[in-house]
Amino acid sequence: MERHSAVNDEQRQILDEPPPVLGSWPRVYLFVVCYLAALITLFYLFTAHFAP
Amino acid sequence: MKPLDWVVLTGWLIFLVCYGLWRGRGSNTVNQFLLAGKTMPWYAMGLSIMATQASAITFISTTGQSYIDGMRFVQFYFGLPLAMVILSATAVPIFHRANVYTAYEYLEKRFDAKTRALVTAVFLIQRGLGSGVALSAPAIVLSVILGWPFQVTLLIMGGLVILYTASGGIKAVTWADVQQMAVIMGALILSLIIAVRLLPPDVSFLDAVRLAGAAGRLNAVDLHFDWNNRYNLWSGLIGGMFLMLAYFGCDQSQVQRYLTGRSIGQSRLSLLFNATAKVPVQFFILFIGAIIFVFFLFERPPLLFHPVEMNRVEQSPDYPAIQAKFNQAFDQRQAAARHLKDAGDGMSRQAAIAEFHSAQKDLDCAHREALKLAKENDTNYIFLSFVTHYLPTGVVGLVIGVIFTAAMSAISGEINSLATVSVIDIYRRHFQPAASDRHYLRASRFATVFWGAYAIAFASIFARGFGALIEAVNQVGSLFYGGLLGVFILAFFLKSVGSNGAFFGVLAGEAAIFCTAAFTSVAFLWYNVIGCLVVITVALIISYAFERDRAQTGRPLGS
Repeated sequence: MERHSAVNDEQRQILDEPPPVLGSWPRVYLFVVCYLAALITLFYLFTAHFAP
Repeated sequence: MKPLDWVVLTGWLIFLVCYGLWRGRGSNTVNQFLLAGKTMPWYAMGLSIMATQASAITFISTTGQSYIDGMRFVQFYFGLPLAMVILSATAVPIFHRANVYTAYEYLEKRFDAKTRALVTAVFLIQRGLGSGVALSAPAIVLSVILGWPFQVTLLIMGGLVILYTASGGIKAVTWADVQQMAVIMGALILSLIIAVRLLPPDVSFLDAVRLAGAAGRLNAVDLHFDWNNRYNLWSGLIGGMFLMLAYFGCDQSQVQRYLTGRSIGQSRLSLLFNATAKVPVQFFILFIGAIIFVFFLFERPPLLFHPVEMNRVEQSPDYPAIQAKFNQAFDQRQAAARHLKDAGDGMSRQAAIAEFHSAQKDLDCAHREALKLAKENDTNYIFLSFVTHYLPTGVVGLVIGVIFTAAMSAISGEINSLATVSVIDIYRRHFQPAASDRHYLRASRFATVFWGAYAIAFASIFARGFGALIEAVNQVGSLFYGGLLGVFILAFFLKSVGSNGAFFGVLAGEAAIFCTAAFTSVAFLWYNVIGCLVVITVALIISYAFERDRAQTGRPLGS
């Protein structure tokens, strides 16, 4: 039983590997949200700059 | 097309199919065939997901939409990164730990067999319709451009897809998509460079961008909220997020991609890769359409880009007058564009813009009159008309080949997922629960051939009647995705909801979506939000009223 749960823990650890950058998944998610906000801002400025 | 184009086109098709067959070798167990043995790295899954989305529609329809309507369609994708973050944090670990082949298998673990059966049926109807649209629409366009009979184009595309998908399963599909995505990006960049180089010598790239802006083609962000406006920031962020949550979280054609990952982390990375890459890529593709619009400010476009419809219009007694009106408006617009280019800021620029828009209005008017004589819109033919008439020999063959395989990529993913759901959620669950792995592998291959044949048959029967491809596909999806998303939100987050609540919630959600579509003018992106909210509300009411005792002993999340 103990061996079985040790195997499960090992599998879960492999499955739940950390991200290759930024240290944790919540930080990666925050980066993606900030990136989206920056992108929308840039697109808005682009639209406003070239608007007729 | 010149002989070199045919060589490039044929060579690319043969290469891609052979590559898919080669990478798909060894798919001799059900797990290998349907989930690639859970060995896929993140970049392969990520590029495959992107290739499926960047199907032929991306080339054919998105560029045309930008030419006609500007870049506002990019807002449709603003909800995608948010959806990817939510799914990475929730659905990915839940599906991985549940160790399922399909997303709907999980629903039986959480609710019961009837909820799984209902959602499976919704998926098969929706995706079955979608596969027909995804195959027929590019086949129509390519058959017109290449001058091939429609049925021949359909059979070539469908036949090649069935060949490598039935042989190599998801592994063949994924690796073929990876190759394809690289060539798609190359072809797009090449198209933009050539479009810019084809502009008159006195029109610089910056002039072209300014002209596109003055013509209202660079309208990438619209902050104004309007329920009936398909594309603005809010419909994109909220409606788009719900649609993408449903598409990537509940649609087996996408879920299956990230279930092939060798770990939760790899699957998350594949989705987050899409979260960061998809919006800029879509912006870039729409920008190509805007630049092609500028190119046709200085090069006389045909009255209609659709060659067959153009021939039809030419037979009409009204044609000479319409063509003359079109030519006059084009000359005025070209002159206005030159004035606009040379005008500085201030009054002269405003006058040039007014002159330009007046000429554009006359041109659009002549175009609409021609469309009244035609049977079909020509939006989907704009980019291909540009490619076949203005790109150099060899590049034409490459771009047409990429469009061919882009369509095939979308279909391969769809028939693969339809086959998976048919075998796992219907055949194994209800008819043959204890057969050997070899038996299910054979059944999966048979189901792949069946759904491929179905897509070809559907496409050949219902070939006509779809407008701009991308909207047709998204509209079909939006009729069903709200219901699917609602039931998965119940499964993931609302432990108090029981199986009857979920089942009747889905029925009520679908009814609400169809009523909204039939009796209101609400833009289709909001169907997902409405359907999802109705599912959750009805499920909560039913569970509270009739299932309180049972729900309290419900199975835990992710078990």
